[in-house]
Amino acid sequence: MRASFPNVGYDTYALKTFLEDLGAEVILAPPNSRRTIELGSLHSPELICMPYKITLGNMLEALELGADTLFMAAGARKCRFGYYHYLQERALKNLGKECRFIPVTQYSPLDFFFKVMPGIFGVSPLRVARATSKMLAKSRLTQEFRQHLNRKMAVDFAGAEQAKPKALAVIERAHTLREIQAARGEVRRILAPAAPVGQCNLNGTEPQVRLGLVGEIYFMIEQFASQEIEKELGKMGAEVVFERSLYRHIRHLLSSDPAFARSGRLARRYLQESPGGEAIRTVGEAVYFQRQGLDGVVHIFPFTCMPENIALEALQNLSEETGLPVLSLSFDEHTSRTGLLTRLEAFVDLVKRRKLGRRLHRN
Amino acid sequence: MKVGVPRALLYHRYGKFWEKFLTGLGAEVVVSRRTDKVLLQKGLGHVSSEVCLPIKIMAGHLEELAGQVDVLFLPRLLWLEDKLYACPKMIGIVDIARMMIGDRVRIVAPKIQGSLWLPHFGAGMELCHDPVRVVRALSEAGRFLPAHDHIPDFPAEEKRVALIGHFYNLGDDFISRPMVDTFTSHGYRICTKDELPEGVLRSRQGFARKIRWVYERELYNAFRFLVDKVSGVCMIVSMGCGPDSLVAEFMREEAQQRDVPFLQLVIDEHTGTAGIVTRIEAFLELAERRQARAFKIPDSRLKTGGQGIAA
Repeated sequence: MRASFPNVGYDTYALKTFLEDLGAEVILAPPNSRRTIELGSLHSPELICMPYKITLGNMLEALELGADTLFMAAGARKCRFGYYHYLQERALKNLGKECRFIPVTQYSPLDFFFKVMPGIFGVSPLRVARATSKMLAKSRLTQEFRQHLNRKMAVDFAGAEQAKPKALAVIERAHTLREIQAARGEVRRILAPAAPVGQCNLNGTEPQVRLGLVGEIYFMIEQFASQEIEKELGKMGAEVVFERSLYRHIRHLLSSDPAFARSGRLARRYLQESPGGEAIRTVGEAVYFQRQGLDGVVHIFPFTCMPENIALEALQNLSEETGLPVLSLSFDEHTSRTGLLTRLEAFVDLVKRRKLGRRLHRN
Repeated sequence: MKVGVPRALLYHRYGKFWEKFLTGLGAEVVVSRRTDKVLLQKGLGHVSSEVCLPIKIMAGHLEELAGQVDVLFLPRLLWLEDKLYACPKMIGIVDIARMMIGDRVRIVAPKIQGSLWLPHFGAGMELCHDPVRVVRALSEAGRFLPAHDHIPDFPAEEKRVALIGHFYNLGDDFISRPMVDTFTSHGYRICTKDELPEGVLRSRQGFARKIRWVYERELYNAFRFLVDKVSGVCMIVSMGCGPDSLVAEFMREEAQQRDVPFLQLVIDEHTGTAGIVTRIEAFLELAERRQARAFKIPDSRLKTGGQGIAA
């Protein structure tokens, strides 16, 4: 089996490890590019949201490289995401692409361990569980990697750019649980936010401002979709703090994410009922960030995303009530980079001045 | 006590029922006026520009009612039969309303999960505190629930077109008037899902089995039922409607397979009447030509690019 799946940012490595552990040969889709998204949009319905287009582009590119089995996450209740695979399977069929298409439902972990995965790979549930634990460890590693990287970028952007490939190589190399454990320390060391020796760092080791990033899960994981917003914000001297990652998402699916209940509790003031998708978590995390004393919140989601649009209303309300600066950005394949950068710059400027003003006021 | 009911979204299906119910409770019912430009403009300022047109209209109605009434009656529909959900925006509209006008008006929002009766009873108790009266009001109002149990006739000589769209779009004259007028002025009878019996709308055949949105399944089933009884299918989608963007794709494919003209009209607050009329007229011309078979379109032109028809 030459298996492939849509890219999910740095966590692609984690999923790759998972499939390899189960005995598949993994063909990674090429890194997301302009071509991916153009290919995807060409064969997508006009009004569908952006993750659909990118993931379809990934699939097409993976098939070009010789993949014969495609995995796609499915099942998201009220959100459109759960229906992607029906349309994508059909689109591929209409294009005359021969492949086995396997939608993996998110919300039934028991089925996943005992029926779906053993059925596909002919392995025991125990092996699936072991592979899953390794995937979890690795996605936690990538989550930490992103956290360290964001911090370093905010104080020492050039250094972070240099260290990033090194850290990624370490992540990619780590195969066994023990190696992954060791890689955690190494990644932290590589990405330590200290100024390089012999160089004067005016910013010290503390970022000027800290911004919380909330939004739709695909956008939180896959940097390409949001035009590498973490990097851009880092360049402007803002550390991006996030709560959501593939690691936390899988933990949530296995009902073991403590932050999930917290989000629900904190969001209750604004949303009493989940409008589906991730709206509750988006709002809950924003409130959490506000209470943590972060300087602002950036909210990213695909254009026409239904749940996030409801969350947007809640975030506006939160902003009005608490004075927390909130920037909501929706993306599609036409989003202009220049326009985005201008908005980000203005926002970061605002947040910095606000913080400075407050500090002066206090003194 | 003045109880306000916004004339938007679910009102277009349960409006009569609610009015009777609330009057039965002894409340003075204030229904917001019919949607117009002014109302829409009011709404636009209160919600994000990305939500769909019906939500924007709803925001206008809410704003309109906020100054006039003591209580706002705004049920929240989570799911109906078969655990099928309403769309995220419809679930979220109550929260949006609370954030918009919650400090000015009390909002009574019964949570509908499966059955209408219990949540409405609860809401009634909140408003009038007399269980006997609430039950009586409910049972009287129950007669005004929308019910269609017979399949309408489709005479052979009549010109028909199917107008597929959500009831809150078709029911709102402000949105649907130009389309309806254009079709009727060309002598077409309009078939919508609202005249079909529930048995048809709740069918679980084909793709309908997999649809998890209650109104989307109705649309799809209505489409399946009507597609071979009409000379063309016109679908009205509000810009930004998530469920429609998916299900419309399946309908389009099926319509192509059956060689029925399919027109998808995407509407938002900027949509002009002239554009709609032109598109509908062109569409009707196509449908008529196809029916007369005076002019057969080569298949190659129907199958555009790679997105053509599955064999």
